[in-house]
Amino acid sequence: MTSGNTRTAAAVHASAHKLFSLRRTAAIATNTFRDLVRQKVFYFMLVFGLIIIGVSLALASFSFQGQLQTVMDVCLGAMSVFTMLLAVLATAMMLPKDMEDRTLYTILAKPVSRFEYLVGKLAGVTMILVVATLLMTAAFFVVLHFWQGREIENLQLTEPAERAAAAISKIKAGTFTPTLLGGIGVILLRSIVCAALTLMLSCFATSWLFTVIVSLMVILAGHLVPIARSVWQGPLGAADAPFHIAILMRLITVFVPDMQLFNIVDDIAVGISVDAGVFLHIAGLGAGYVLVYLLVGWLFFAWREL
Amino acid sequence: MSTPAITIENLTKEFTNPSVFSRGKVTAVENLSLTVEPGQVYGLLGPNGSGKSTTMKIVLGLVVPTSGRTCIFGRDSRDVESREAVGFLPENPYFYKFLTGSETLSFYGRLCGLGGKMLRDRSRELLALVGLETAADRRVGGYSKGMLQRIGLAQALVQDPRLLVLDEPTAGVDPAGSHEIRDLILRLKQRGITVLLCSHLLSQVQEICDRIGIMNHGQLVREGALDDLISIENQTEFVLENASPALLAELRERASAAGARVVCEQKPQQNLERYFLEVTAEQGGEKK
Repeated sequence: MTSGNTRTAAAVHASAHKLFSLRRTAAIATNTFRDLVRQKVFYFMLVFGLIIIGVSLALASFSFQGQLQTVMDVCLGAMSVFTMLLAVLATAMMLPKDMEDRTLYTILAKPVSRFEYLVGKLAGVTMILVVATLLMTAAFFVVLHFWQGREIENLQLTEPAERAAAAISKIKAGTFTPTLLGGIGVILLRSIVCAALTLMLSCFATSWLFTVIVSLMVILAGHLVPIARSVWQGPLGAADAPFHIAILMRLITVFVPDMQLFNIVDDIAVGISVDAGVFLHIAGLGAGYVLVYLLVGWLFFAWREL
Repeated sequence: MSTPAITIENLTKEFTNPSVFSRGKVTAVENLSLTVEPGQVYGLLGPNGSGKSTTMKIVLGLVVPTSGRTCIFGRDSRDVESREAVGFLPENPYFYKFLTGSETLSFYGRLCGLGGKMLRDRSRELLALVGLETAADRRVGGYSKGMLQRIGLAQALVQDPRLLVLDEPTAGVDPAGSHEIRDLILRLKQRGITVLLCSHLLSQVQEICDRIGIMNHGQLVREGALDDLISIENQTEFVLENASPALLAELRERASAAGARVVCEQKPQQNLERYFLEVTAEQGGEKK
């Protein structure tokens, strides 16, 4: 407390204001992370991830060959779906809940800009997504390692030594590859893009349900972007499509993220090797989407009446 | 001359009518001008929907005015830096319910640039100040209404602000808690902190405010020093102790002879809040 009119060290320390402070942003990010962890959203999603990995084990045990492939396919698919759902659901509720509980008032009544608040919130969700992806990856790798061992054992028992050795080295070289890690990175990046998109929508939405529904619709529409692009950029050109369809397709390609871009994970799941340049291209575009959504969200949020 | 703690100049705020069927503007605040000097406790009063909360939100930069401007210690409210000097407690606040009281203060302190030992010490100090030391490690989700209000007050004070904006700080709090909050505001006033207070508890406002503004339909209808506004200029009040019936009769006669009229003569009553606090304190003492 102050003594007379003398301000305390806390007051003096707090008065050095910066336009953008990493400290304030980190405070919001870690608080968002902690809040989400304690809401058990994260554990709930993890349990679902583990269930799906369990299902993959069951599927693989029924098939006579290609167990590794099945495990990889199912696990990567499950990781994609769960990280995406986690991103949308966790992000959609943040802003409306803070407004409803008036915690947003107490935060923005401190020397915190609305941009710092949004960046902090997105960073907090990103932290959750990183941890969720790491845990799912760890579980996935344990399962993959188990099935790799089973397949090697099976080859040693059923194939002649020379043929088995060649097949085993092929399996070893083709399981835990940098491409697989890159694929998991793409899954993570896609979930962050989904979180940024959801955050942008929640900046002008009036309910979290609206945000969830619209986000999922936009993500779904994102898989149609290449088709939409082909309508107005393709060999036939926009002139050949009806005017309203051409406009709609053009709007989709401008405002909707190209989710097909991230479907490279499907290729990785079936063992296709992907060049590092492709990953860099996806990372650049993903980061671009995140930045654009954040800035557009901020433009809406900056003028929103609280 | 010192810079005013709050300056409001020709403030007008219009909201778009949310109804689909009747579009148009709703004027929440109309051409409002007032100044709050440093060290004052200023009560902004008015019925529900009179524009008090909107005015507070504009002062805090949460809402953009349609016209006019507001400043905090000379800085435009729209500048984020202006909030360095402000602590705010909204009406019926809820905090992140999965955080403990201590974590809540730590979070708000970090938003104000505090950290390390200084922040830990400050959090402990504030928890003691608002009487929540024993609940420091309990999650805020389990706090009672009064405790929420007190942790809200503590977060508002975390960076040791020069201005405190309190929206219904005693709403839903029991008389004992309300009394504690009132005492705390008076202590803050003694320490030179400016307080802008919105409250429907007029008796409490009367006890703690130096100056008040009354709003109605978005306009400031009365403004001034509390004593000037509510004292009745042509009347004088005596409270006598151990006055005999003869003395009272003589006073009546003399007053009448001098051309004055005795408007009211009664036994003074003690304040109900004070009586309630005395009774509950006695009961508490007996139980112990």
